[in-house]
Amino acid sequence: MSRHTPIDWSVLSGPRVSRRTLMKLATATGAFGFAQRFAAMDAHAARGARSTRTRGRAQEPKQGGTLRVGFQISQIVTLDPGQVSQGLVAGSVLPVLFSSLVQFDEELGLIPDLAENWQVSPDGLEYTFTLREGLTFHNGDPLTSADLRYTYERTTDPAFASPHANKLELITSFETPDDRTVKITLGQPFAPFLAVACSRGPGRALTPISRRAIEEMGDQQFGMTPVGTGPFMIVPETAEIGRGFDLVPFEGWYGGRPYVDKIELRMVPEPSSAVSGLEAGDLDVIDPMPATAAQQLQGNPDVVIVQAPGTNWRGVAMNMNRPPWDNIEARMAVAKALDREDFVKRAFFGLADPAIGPIAPAFGWVYVPPDQAPPSPQAYNLEEAKALAEKAGLVGLKQVIISSEEIGLRPTEVLRSVLQEIGIDAQIDFQQGAVFTERWQTGDFDMFLHGSQVDADPDDGHWNFFHSTGPWNTYGYKSEKADELLEATRNTADPEERTRIYQELQAHLQTDVAMAFAYHVYDLLALHKDIQGYVPVPEQRYWETVWLDR
Amino acid sequence: MTEYVVRRLIHSVFIVWGCATLVFFLLRMVPGDPVVRMLGPEYTPEAAEALRRKLGLDEPIYVQYARWFGNVLTGDLGASVASGETVTGAIKSGLPKTLSITLVAFVFATVIALPTGIIAALRRNSWLDYGASFIAFFWVSMPSFWFGIVLILLFSVKLQWLPAIGYVELSKEGFWPWLQRLILPGLAVGAGYAAILMRFVRAGLLEVLGSDYIRTARAKGLHERSVILRHALRNALIPVVTVAGIQLALLLSGAVVTETVFSIRGLGRILVGAIFDRDYPMVQGIILLIAIIFVLANLIVDIIYTMLDPRIHYG
Repeated sequence: MSRHTPIDWSVLSGPRVSRRTLMKLATATGAFGFAQRFAAMDAHAARGARSTRTRGRAQEPKQGGTLRVGFQISQIVTLDPGQVSQGLVAGSVLPVLFSSLVQFDEELGLIPDLAENWQVSPDGLEYTFTLREGLTFHNGDPLTSADLRYTYERTTDPAFASPHANKLELITSFETPDDRTVKITLGQPFAPFLAVACSRGPGRALTPISRRAIEEMGDQQFGMTPVGTGPFMIVPETAEIGRGFDLVPFEGWYGGRPYVDKIELRMVPEPSSAVSGLEAGDLDVIDPMPATAAQQLQGNPDVVIVQAPGTNWRGVAMNMNRPPWDNIEARMAVAKALDREDFVKRAFFGLADPAIGPIAPAFGWVYVPPDQAPPSPQAYNLEEAKALAEKAGLVGLKQVIISSEEIGLRPTEVLRSVLQEIGIDAQIDFQQGAVFTERWQTGDFDMFLHGSQVDADPDDGHWNFFHSTGPWNTYGYKSEKADELLEATRNTADPEERTRIYQELQAHLQTDVAMAFAYHVYDLLALHKDIQGYVPVPEQRYWETVWLDR
Repeated sequence: MTEYVVRRLIHSVFIVWGCATLVFFLLRMVPGDPVVRMLGPEYTPEAAEALRRKLGLDEPIYVQYARWFGNVLTGDLGASVASGETVTGAIKSGLPKTLSITLVAFVFATVIALPTGIIAALRRNSWLDYGASFIAFFWVSMPSFWFGIVLILLFSVKLQWLPAIGYVELSKEGFWPWLQRLILPGLAVGAGYAAILMRFVRAGLLEVLGSDYIRTARAKGLHERSVILRHALRNALIPVVTVAGIQLALLLSGAVVTETVFSIRGLGRILVGAIFDRDYPMVQGIILLIAIIFVLANLIVDIIYTMLDPRIHYG
């Protein structure tokens, strides 16, 4: 991919890779997801992220106690890393149960996890990992290179149909010269390999799992009571679909025993119940915290709210395959009617950023805040919006906005009120997930709040939505210029050039009114004030550093 | 009597079969595709096709029906298409919770409804009667989930007397921790039920108190307490039992919403989630169970009649 600068890939070798190196390489090789994930962490670190993943603090941590986590999710489909596709599960549960070859450190570089060291060849094709000595799974079985090979074979087995198999596509050979050595050869350099395939949490494709456990209990049961190598292990008797499970410290974890004696993970999908649970002292954590709860919880001296910038965006998709949205003036009327500052206040109580485009605030290297960006043609101007609406024949137009839980009723209602201001008679059709997904994916809608969420790969968040062949471009946007720019972002080596292209693309999407860009929500977490040592990383939760000051 | 019960049981089988069949076909008429839901962002037409084949959803509907029904007869309700959890497993985990809430709600309702109903009837048109009626109307008009939230805010968040959410097993944690977590949901569900029962107790008692045999009983010089409890109440309870049986639906449907508020994964929450997911086997299995519960509850009500009222005979 790199056409200009020859890159020495061996800088990716362990036992420590700084975030700066990763960023540089990632931006230089078209690995946006990777680069942006790190940029996200950078932005968040800049906001004064507390502490560190290492031990030893001003106040001596206390051992013991039960951490009660309330998850805003109604069901965990599976905990089998190779099959997890729920973002919240991947970020919030997997890092607790599973270690992997490498992990992120407090500087947001890569540090050893199960691998004590690794080497990357200068041509970027060979990765050689050396495992720590004496590693074991939760069930006591030793972990060797053969287990990683088994994991690789399982993930890539077509019959297993792992959604993460594509991250291992470039592997041409997977060798295990001895028990502690894993040698992976790629067909071509792939900068995000360590992060997307080998890291604790996101690197689900190569997160080692116990072969014996799978053979004993079968794939189905393994998905409920998995056996891994992480700092906590699941108590099988407590695992209940839709309720949650208990976790206890894994005494054999190479990093030492975590502080708390037990974690009770409970699924609490109803936001008001989770908030009551936290306030009544039945829960210590709400993950993620619903924005609707902010006001109530902000006033509670017992609650600490951890907030990180969003890696997401949403905008109003207007179906251009249907009139009047094939008319750019009609779309511009909607875009100009959006008072984004007001929108995020009303819909999210201010816990979101106004969006001028699909570049999310967490991606510091390319994001420009609205007040510093060149003025967007979509900027709020109600008079112009009304004039355009009149001209495009929107007054009195009947439209249906489809929506669902993942978007939320509140933002949808705010959108309706915005549309009413320019004379559109909009109704909301709030549907259950299955119907909603089917309708937007098959293009059966007038308009809805489209966007990319909880997805750390912004290339997906751009390409999939705005390229004429993008799988999620079901609202009929076609622009040769956008296609060209999107392709350029994938094929350009120079990081500054790439940033410039993204900015140019965003300006083009604004002018073209590909969507009426609206908001980026924050990553929010509510903690009881007794919880100490928490390391906030967007989209990921690590509980082994946490202790209870009680 | 035995013959009657057997006949009713045979009828019940047909009713349950009818319900199950109706649900089976209705579900498939509802828009939304479980495969789309399960794949989510990984959706492609090819992946959808493959998954549909794997789940047997590509076969003609009558084949799916015949296979499902055949399995039900052997006691196999199938497994969730969303999570793989067996339907019997989900029922085994959800039913005790829903029944616990229902039981506590029923006890609350009875404990509240009987005395207030009796007092309201005996002190007819007094301020006690009006007060009880007012409370009854208020409770019956309140949605149980709203009342649930109010109860949580008051007893859990403000006073911190009772837990706000969750459920623990009676066999594992003991009686008090179990009951502690059921008091608020039980009250939330039971309030409306209590109100309805109370109105029926009052109406039934008033009607009975005006009848000849009560006058006779009083004329015999029986103690008033004995007249009310032994003679009047027993007869007044016949309509109450009918209502109690029919209104079991109210308790179960109240539990559906209340379980969400109190974050208890009983049958209601499982059912609602399964409907969202278009999880056909799960919805079918749970509806089948609910149909059975209803049919049995009605049968039991009919049997209780004969005990309360010797005039009623089945033969």
